Amino acid sequence: MKKVFIGFMIISAVLLTTMLVYAAKPGFDDQEIRIGQWGPQTGPAAPWGSVARGSKLLFDIVNEEGGIHGRKIRYFIRDDQYNPSQTMAGVRDLVDRQGVLAFVGGVGTAPGVAVQRYLQQNKIIWVGVCTGAKSFHVPHNPYLWNMWPAYDDDASVIAKFLVEKKKFKKIGMLYQNDDYGLDSMAGAKIRLKKYNMELVAAVPVEPIERDLTSQVARLKSAGAEAIIGYVAPTQAAIALRNAVSVGFHPQWIHSYNLTDYVLMNTITDGLWAKEGVMTSAFTEDIFANTPLQVKYRAAAKRLAPTERWGIFYAAGIIVAEPLVYALKKVGRNLSTEALKNELDKVTNFQGIGPKLTWRADNHRPPRALRIWQSGPKAEVIVLQDWTENELSTY
Amino acid sequence: MPFGQLLIDGLAMGACYGLFGLAVVIIYKTSEVLNFAAGEMAMFSTFVAFHVLVIYGCPFWLAFIVALVFAAILGVAIEYFFLRPAKNPTLIGLIVITIGAQMLLMGLASWKWGAEQKQFSIPVSYKVTYEPIPGFIISEWAAAVFIVAAVIMTFLYFFFQHTKLGTAMRATQQNKHAAKIMGIKTDRVFAFAWAFSSVIGVTAAMLLSAKTILDPGFMMEPFLRAFAAAVLGGLMSIPGVLIGGFIMGLIENFFGYVWPAWKPITAFVVIVLVLCVRPSGLFAKHYVKKV
Repeated sequence: MKKVFIGFMIISAVLLTTMLVYAAKPGFDDQEIRIGQWGPQTGPAAPWGSVARGSKLLFDIVNEEGGIHGRKIRYFIRDDQYNPSQTMAGVRDLVDRQGVLAFVGGVGTAPGVAVQRYLQQNKIIWVGVCTGAKSFHVPHNPYLWNMWPAYDDDASVIAKFLVEKKKFKKIGMLYQNDDYGLDSMAGAKIRLKKYNMELVAAVPVEPIERDLTSQVARLKSAGAEAIIGYVAPTQAAIALRNAVSVGFHPQWIHSYNLTDYVLMNTITDGLWAKEGVMTSAFTEDIFANTPLQVKYRAAAKRLAPTERWGIFYAAGIIVAEPLVYALKKVGRNLSTEALKNELDKVTNFQGIGPKLTWRADNHRPPRALRIWQSGPKAEVIVLQDWTENELSTY
Repeated sequence: MPFGQLLIDGLAMGACYGLFGLAVVIIYKTSEVLNFAAGEMAMFSTFVAFHVLVIYGCPFWLAFIVALVFAAILGVAIEYFFLRPAKNPTLIGLIVITIGAQMLLMGLASWKWGAEQKQFSIPVSYKVTYEPIPGFIISEWAAAVFIVAAVIMTFLYFFFQHTKLGTAMRATQQNKHAAKIMGIKTDRVFAFAWAFSSVIGVTAAMLLSAKTILDPGFMMEPFLRAFAAAVLGGLMSIPGVLIGGFIMGLIENFFGYVWPAWKPITAFVVIVLVLCVRPSGLFAKHYVKKV
């Protein structure tokens, strides 16, 4: 019995030591820097999974060019199926077992909320969570740097455009019944109040709903001339189809999450372009011929030929760009604190995403947004250039 | 309130729910197994139609026939390879197997066709509309749904009432062992029920995806509604399932219009209330199995 007990103690000690060694991994060594991301590679939200794969493209380009100060980037993707409990499992695996230095991106408000506290407690660098929900900006998290404009800023800029530039008097809203939709509705209401206006109808949608007949009927009978949409691509497409099928043709304008005009035009049977749907945007057009866009598109053809060059894929590059920039700035003497200091000093950095400036006490995302409209061939037409929400209160 | 529009669209969507419900009920009537893979079987077969239509560029009617044949084979295959090998299975065990099949089909569809949304078109369009009475706008798509539902219902009525196979299916459901003694090849009956259910499912799924979107998850929510419609109408009553679908579509549309925030749960609340009064559903006779 005593021998069994001693054996058990030895095995426990070995296992504990191994775990501590893994837990103590600083996220890099002389050869590699470990970076992670979660995202829905399968399941109902899988179209957004290309964000995580887009980041891989940038890391592959960096590695092809020799890495960063002699270290290659080792990149891990964990499929969370847009399920917060699986996000937590994947993140814990990457932090505790693989020992990552930083996370980039991470699709979705609910998955992000699930791991936000854990990552902060473990002092893990996290750049560019893919949501504009306010809970990621307020209160300040010293280890999270935001890139997705706040949804209330976004909706405020959209409402201002509709009233001041397009002179709409009756504005309705179709919103997803969670932080994504509720934050944006608050922003739109504050803006409209400035003009002594109110939403003529605000209709909620659940993320998995496939029949939006009653929602569209409600917006139609409220006489909405323009509808602000904060929904997922599927619901936006179904709502548009429903509206057309009952002869309802308002001006649709959606959040920046629906700027993949090629995809949207395909799944709306060409209605996206025909109805001239508008969106806000916080990036350059991903089909623009800027040197960086051309470089990335060529690399995507070479390194990821099966991937479609769409906004979600490009978003993966956008969230990874400032991290790569900061890692290059840090130099060979890498540490979490050194990387954090460099990210805190980012000033007017711009890749293919928005222009970024962060400070030690301010990691909030950019406030400037543009307004785009789909042209007849689903191409981007810029209706309004960078505009800030001057009503932003934080 | 746009009464006419809500009524027609509610009935059309309800007809789709009713058809999906039929796919569930046909298997349930034969073997008392609740097939949780019914939605994904329909989704997968719709992707086959999409593949033939878009990738191979074939005409719609060919894609439609290929999808029906594929759906029948898929139904038989799932019954033969997944359910039949189970040794002395309990009903719960069989239901769990169907959940496994559901996950497998969704994974396979994501792997083969990707998770991104697809456009699936059929010859009848939701964009072409008629207004025979002011305020009652009906699209070609809605008209097609009503016609398909009516044809399938009529066919099922004659099939179950006036054909040997239909009678054999009813007999198998009531007492599998007695049916065997009477010379009914119950294994064949089960296989046929799965094929039949799968064909009805894909017909409805093609109609629905033409109005909404095609992606590997597109049947998840409609299947839940259809299942609820089947329970509401009565899992043993074929006309009851279709009427349950209509009620579900109408409740969703009218309540969804008045109280949009409560739309997702309203229908289920009504179902719970109905089942408190009539546990077998609105149209099924309360049936106690003798042992």
